[in-house]
Amino acid sequence: MRTIYLVLFWLIAGGVLLLSSCAEDFEYTLPEASTALQNDCIKRTPPQPYVVGNSIQFAYAMALAPEKGRLLNASVEASIAGADGTYLEHRTFYTNSAGNDVGIVIGEPSVTVDYKTEVVFTVDTCAATLRYNYVIPEEARGKQVSFKFIANASSGETVTYQMGPYQIAKMELKREMVLSNSNVCYFSIADMAAYNAGAASEIPGNIDLVYLFRRIPGISFEHAFVSPAAPQDFLPGVTLPSGVNNDTRIIKTWGLRDQHLALGRWGEFIDDVDFEEIDFTNATKYAINLRGENGLWLETEDKKYRAYLYVNMISPAGLIAVSIKRYTMY
Amino acid sequence: MKNYIKISLALAIIVLSTSNCSWEYPIDKDGLLITERAECYVSNFELLDTDHRTVRSRSAIIDTIEQTIDVEVLWGTNLKSLWPQFSLVTDAKLDPKITDYVNFSDLENPKQWTVVSGNRQVRKDYTVIISVQQIP
Repeated sequence: MRTIYLVLFWLIAGGVLLLSSCAEDFEYTLPEASTALQNDCIKRTPPQPYVVGNSIQFAYAMALAPEKGRLLNASVEASIAGADGTYLEHRTFYTNSAGNDVGIVIGEPSVTVDYKTEVVFTVDTCAATLRYNYVIPEEARGKQVSFKFIANASSGETVTYQMGPYQIAKMELKREMVLSNSNVCYFSIADMAAYNAGAASEIPGNIDLVYLFRRIPGISFEHAFVSPAAPQDFLPGVTLPSGVNNDTRIIKTWGLRDQHLALGRWGEFIDDVDFEEIDFTNATKYAINLRGENGLWLETEDKKYRAYLYVNMISPAGLIAVSIKRYTMY
Repeated sequence: MKNYIKISLALAIIVLSTSNCSWEYPIDKDGLLITERAECYVSNFELLDTDHRTVRSRSAIIDTIEQTIDVEVLWGTNLKSLWPQFSLVTDAKLDPKITDYVNFSDLENPKQWTVVSGNRQVRKDYTVIISVQQIP
């Protein structure tokens, strides 16, 4: 019995010692903020494939102690010059109690020369957060782009902040094209455009799909995209313009609602790698009975292009609105 | 002597408690429980397109005596890429497993799957016979 008590005692004592050994006394003191010019940056655009024509947005913050001086200018150097619409905000934002962003002007609107965008401060301030909107240019397609944020203060100090590199997608994007039954119903993947029969007859080699709307008793057809080379059963009442005979491969899908194509809705993205990996072995030459939010993976006859066509809207009047992402294979 | 008895008892309890489950429910190579059920049939069948919508024009006819599943699919269905879904009696499993789209385009040679009962003793081959809806 005595042995059991002894063992219990030592176990408890050991446990107490173990627990107490971790607790050290730390005296907390408020850290002292640096008075020097300093900066920070975040990317405001969520992770996604960066597509030419879209924007990448950043928020660049800079500050120094009031007694040290004031901000003189801020600039951003992009490794590839941004397209039209690239700017550095000349307002610094804060969020009010209602949750709204409120801008306060701190200088003249930014000036962009080649790869550099600059704002010169015209007010006496020691802190600002400026937003930078970079419109991805055609020159950046398939390349990497990075950014150098720079701030200068009257104290003579200069700080920089490097962001990136960010991979720009190879794919192209075009939104909201409207096709109509028996009128503007010929679609070209190469041109990412729709034509009527007259225009299609002038570029027959570029026509990859025919849109048609048919109500056929007993079967589900209605809205359809059909390859010109599909059997005539799938092109009821269609007389193709001379020379329109491309054999386009089609895979119908559902639930793949790319945010770029779905006009900002949903949270999925199709990226370059998806086009590279999609297998068209068992693809067909038609997609019938389409609904809104259907998608079509496409491959042109010459295998030069792969694309994803998203159905934004259909109308019982025989109209369809589509958006497309296209990837050039070679 | 008393200590030896206590230790032996404790060890016996531990061994029994850990091995108890495996005696009652052995597990097959797929990690599924092997039970005592000998029932072996398909209770429902679905066939999906690449857009995850059904391609059946009407309900599948399942003959558990002949072990056939007759499915008529919509006109225009791409038979090369369809995803079959079997509902089976409790504890049964399917062999081979369905892990990708299936090519049904060879209508002369229908696809077959084997249903294996819960006790893994009964195996029945089901043939999926596809026909395509015709334009009226």
